[in-house]
Amino acid sequence: MTRNKNLLGLLLSLVMVMGFASFCMASGGSDMPISSPPSSTPAFPNLYVIGWSAVNFFVLLAVLYKFAFNPINEMLEQRTTTIESSIKHAEELKIEVEQMRKEAQANLIESRKEAQIIVGNATKSAEDAKNDIISKAKEEVDTMKVRAKAEIEAATAQAKVELRDTAAILAMTAAEKVLGRAITEADHQKMVKEFVNEAGDLLC
Amino acid sequence: MIFGMWDAVYFKLGPIPVDHIIVTQWVLIVLIGLIAFCSTRKMKVIPTGLQNAFEMIIVWTYDLFGQIMSKEHVAKRWTPLLSTFFLFILVSNYSGMIPGSSHIEGFQAPTSNWNVTMTLALITVFAVQIAGLSEHGIGGYLKHFVSPMPAMLPINILEEFTHPLSLTVRLFGNVLGEEMVIAFLMFMVPFLIPCTIMALGVLVGAIQAMVFALLSASYIASATSAGH
Repeated sequence: MTRNKNLLGLLLSLVMVMGFASFCMASGGSDMPISSPPSSTPAFPNLYVIGWSAVNFFVLLAVLYKFAFNPINEMLEQRTTTIESSIKHAEELKIEVEQMRKEAQANLIESRKEAQIIVGNATKSAEDAKNDIISKAKEEVDTMKVRAKAEIEAATAQAKVELRDTAAILAMTAAEKVLGRAITEADHQKMVKEFVNEAGDLLC
Repeated sequence: MIFGMWDAVYFKLGPIPVDHIIVTQWVLIVLIGLIAFCSTRKMKVIPTGLQNAFEMIIVWTYDLFGQIMSKEHVAKRWTPLLSTFFLFILVSNYSGMIPGSSHIEGFQAPTSNWNVTMTLALITVFAVQIAGLSEHGIGGYLKHFVSPMPAMLPINILEEFTHPLSLTVRLFGNVLGEEMVIAFLMFMVPFLIPCTIMALGVLVGAIQAMVFALLSASYIASATSAGH
């Protein structure tokens, strides 16, 4: 707005200066170095003026074709080409970016799937490991049970043997006291045998 | 000579007389050519300075005249001629406002002489005929003289003469009238009122240049239109 006002002021000032200068020239009279040439009412048609004017106009047209229209047309075409190529390039970039975005999204989805598979595998492995540990523990427990049972059975058997021997000795001692005599080897064998058979049946 | 209007031979180029107005035309052609040369000497894709201003004017004329013509190839072919009309008439009109115009020998606004405006109008008429012939062919073009009915033939022929006449008289009358008013007021009321008329002359000069070129464009558009 301010720029327009300045421009208008400048234009008016220029017009006023030009007007003043014209006035000075027009009112200068014969003292002025310039004067109106001898004149007459314009003849019509003045073929020389018409001919010259036509030639001048076509010369101007040729000059403008050479220095204005052709360069400006070329520049406009160049600008059109530049803008079109820029738009095309931008569209290509847009397509490329869209493709990259899709790829990234696909990669993300795939990564998520892979992550889910990995987590699933890990969970499965952990589950397997847990099951393995539990089964091993169970096996160990069973082994320990079997071993303990065997040990118990062995101890029981040994205790039975020891008990049998002790019972035999006691029986022998008791028989000697009852008989009041020493028991011979044959008696001894016979009595032990009988006792053991009886006691063994009772104990077992 | 108080109204700045004369018709005199300035010098002779061999047997051919050269008027003051012709010398002014040469100066203006050199001036326009120089501006065009300086503007387009080093063209840039992003225009600056003089190139920007000159390009803006030329492209503006392209758009203005191109809009009038419905066919793109017609606009492309004839717009340079119309732009040249506009520039030449505009600069010629403004040359009459330069101090010394009509007082220095060989210096007078070319458009203040009806021989010059008639020349421009005749160029328009020839351009219209050529445009019409090239677009419709001889048969198609001559057919428009008897359209919409054969009875219109005299009026259609008369129209071909009224176009250049109206173009000539309008431009010549406006420019000469404005110059005469300024010259007359210079003697009656010096300085202030003539300046106002000169400021108005800036506007009138541009409008007359535009009117001449726009009418020429409309005549060409009419001659090349489908219903012609």
